[in-house]
Amino acid sequence: MSEYLLDMRGIVKEFSGVKALDGISLQVRAGECVGLCGENGAGKSTLMKVLSAVYPHGTWDGQIFWEGKELKARTIRETEDAGIVIIHQELMLVPQLSVAENIFMGNEITLPGGRMNYSAMYQRAEALMHELKMPDINVALPVMHYGGGHQQLIEIAKALNKKAKLLILDEPTSSLTKSETQILLNIIKDLKKKGVACVMISHKLDEIAEVCDTISVIRDGTHVGTRPMSGMDTNEIITMMVGREIKNLFPREEHPIGEVVFEAKHVTCYDVNNPQRKRVDDVSFQLRKGEILGVAGLVGAGRTELAMAIFGCYAGHHSLEMTLEGKTIQVKTPKDAVEQGICMVPEDRKRHGIVPLMGVGHNITISTLPNYAKHGSIDAEAEMHTIQQSIARMRIKTATPLLQIRGLSGGNQQKAVVSKMLLPSPKVLILDEPTRGVDVGAKYEIYKLMFELVKQGLSIIMISSELPEVLGISDRVLVMGEGKLRGDFVNQGLTQEQVLTAALGQSDHPLAA
Amino acid sequence: MSSAAKSIKKLFSQYKVLALGLAIVFIWTFFGYMTMTDEGSAFLTSRNFSNLMRQMAITGMLACGMVFVIIAGEIDLSVGSLLGLLGGLAAVLDATYKVPVAGTVAIVCFAGVLVGLLNGYWVSYLRVPSFIVGLAGMLAFRGILVGITEGSTVPVESEGLIAIGQAYLPAKIGYLLALILFGLLAFIMLRTRANRAKYNLTVDPMWQDGMKLALTGALIFGFVHTLESYQGVPVPVLVVLVIAGVFSFMANSTVFGRRIYAIGSNLEATRLSGVNVQFVKMAIFGIMGLMCAFAGLTTTARLASGSPSAGNMGELDAIASCFIGGTSMRGGSGTISGALIGALIMTSLDNGMSMLGVETFWQMIVKGSILLLAVWVDVMSGSNER
Repeated sequence: MSEYLLDMRGIVKEFSGVKALDGISLQVRAGECVGLCGENGAGKSTLMKVLSAVYPHGTWDGQIFWEGKELKARTIRETEDAGIVIIHQELMLVPQLSVAENIFMGNEITLPGGRMNYSAMYQRAEALMHELKMPDINVALPVMHYGGGHQQLIEIAKALNKKAKLLILDEPTSSLTKSETQILLNIIKDLKKKGVACVMISHKLDEIAEVCDTISVIRDGTHVGTRPMSGMDTNEIITMMVGREIKNLFPREEHPIGEVVFEAKHVTCYDVNNPQRKRVDDVSFQLRKGEILGVAGLVGAGRTELAMAIFGCYAGHHSLEMTLEGKTIQVKTPKDAVEQGICMVPEDRKRHGIVPLMGVGHNITISTLPNYAKHGSIDAEAEMHTIQQSIARMRIKTATPLLQIRGLSGGNQQKAVVSKMLLPSPKVLILDEPTRGVDVGAKYEIYKLMFELVKQGLSIIMISSELPEVLGISDRVLVMGEGKLRGDFVNQGLTQEQVLTAALGQSDHPLAA
Repeated sequence: MSSAAKSIKKLFSQYKVLALGLAIVFIWTFFGYMTMTDEGSAFLTSRNFSNLMRQMAITGMLACGMVFVIIAGEIDLSVGSLLGLLGGLAAVLDATYKVPVAGTVAIVCFAGVLVGLLNGYWVSYLRVPSFIVGLAGMLAFRGILVGITEGSTVPVESEGLIAIGQAYLPAKIGYLLALILFGLLAFIMLRTRANRAKYNLTVDPMWQDGMKLALTGALIFGFVHTLESYQGVPVPVLVVLVIAGVFSFMANSTVFGRRIYAIGSNLEATRLSGVNVQFVKMAIFGIMGLMCAFAGLTTTARLASGSPSAGNMGELDAIASCFIGGTSMRGGSGTISGALIGALIMTSLDNGMSMLGVETFWQMIVKGSILLLAVWVDVMSGSNER
């Protein structure tokens, strides 16, 4: 019997000749939490898909030993029966079904004749919720009544119900608020005590440091190193991940800030499904030329809705007044916004950013296509010229501009979406979570670009849930909470605590003009 | 899987047209062999080829419009009925109101675009699912047709209108057109090369482009020669080929075409890039309406009458052609040439089986099975995976 619960040896996985994983090994003991780190595209998710048999045994080389025996699973069902449960970054819950129904999906407790035994399932579900210290959840309510943080916990309850011995968490906190994250981390610690092992994939190194005992770093499909967490510091991990040392995460550069260029007044958005509820409540703010305006707040504070209203794509009822360069503007559709000089890089890259079946190049030129056309007919070479310039400028890593964009890593997709929104030469650029799911190296390049742009006179509104990023990049910070503007700070000596206090609505600071 | 099989799979998923071409060769060889008599094969004659192309023309016109609709992620079930309605309108205008041919054609085309735009308006601005809008149109248009024809066939009198469906181009004109087309292709090739060089993009070696051009030229010549050795190029065949050419150009090289693909692949992302997606969608349905007008005129001219049952099941042939031609069911990818070859495959099956005297019910079963098989192969090749 091996000392390890899980022992992956020399895993090699190829995609059409390209090695995504090149001889990776990973060991996990019972009750241990291993942090798996690496830049986007390093192969973390691929490795976990090999482990959970999303890629069945035989489509990759190497060996997996589970509790001392070789595991040759061909379906996800087999790995789950063995006790390996993966919780994906995008949650796999059915919003319309109840919490209990979701927890028991595929493992329903039934009465004779296939009828659902609701009382037994509710009882068990409630017990699980108590175990996770979430007794307030009503297991009979549809999942959509609960926010992202609760849903994550419901996923974990689902995994525990399957008698998971190893939980794989892929970016579990990427859409959680600070307090929700803390609850999740505490639960992971509890689970460890009960002997459940974890593999946690995360870009947030402080979280890894808090719960993980061991850290394993992979880079470009190869195994860089596995070390005990104690004695490691964040810089060391980053150096291992990128293979070089990034001295400064935020390449702040001085830039002049001019007059007010854009102003939004009395922005109010009503909830689509519940028109009584205001998602954004009478928010007004100004933006200066060459300024980076950070918008901070907890998840659900109404920041994305604010951006969508300005960009003309908020689905529900809303009202606002805007002036750009002293003139009142009307924006009814994103088309109006782009034509007036306001561009937005949306939060959800997959759903709102990329056109997956199209090439990288054609994605970049969608907004400005008529510029390369005479009488509606595209001058393919002029277009390609622009595409190549954009790719070079943004350092987008792609084999050819014709490659379908869905084949690129998150960071490179994001760079392409940003290039697309820069080509119409906007005056105001809204970036909604520009670095979500983007690796450290690409993050740095996106920050560099932002400073380059404001130096050229562009004004940027950056919505971000990562406070260090907001504080590291912005000239001024707006703080939102429950749809209201709760603070407007000049970013000089501003601390995370100040911003958080304002976001939570306990601000002592008067609203600055 | 061996590497050879892998590279063949890759080749086919990249050049779907190649696989479809092989399918055609296979089907023609099969029917050619089955209809073999002492005087040679009855299927593989220039006369039957000319016939086949004329039969294909109507489905081909509908398929060309339908490709755009399907690429944009929608479907239009009303085209068969709309074809019938517009064909019936042409017959009524000609027979009852004695409208000159040019007037009839203009009115029918205008009506087609208008009805198409109306369909598009319901789908894109009023947000009724296109399946429902199509179903509604399918019933309503057929109803109007039966109403205006009073349920009986309306014979067409004017020669000019009949010519649209039955005439051939004067002898040798086909060769001239082929030559012009070849010259155009050569010019485009040279211009593209020059442009690519201007922007410092990689230029394929001359022999490679030359080979492609020579191959295309041989294909065009063979096609025209076969038609010329019967009675010349039939008018509807010329029409469908011109449409296909224009549509291919639209799909590959126009802003409008690019947006159709973008909308089909990710509507929201396209909208958030500042594209008026609602208008583009409505325009696609407008074009579909125009195609129904062409197909309706051709049908009426071919039968020399407007029939209340004209175009029955036409939508299914058109949709099947698109899917056989490799258009993705979920939108975002597909080609005009594929759809046209899809239409050719469907028509070849009809034509060949009729020649063999296969009963109609068997023909339907075979066509259904081929559709299923073709899409299954497409799914297996994984080219439309997401």
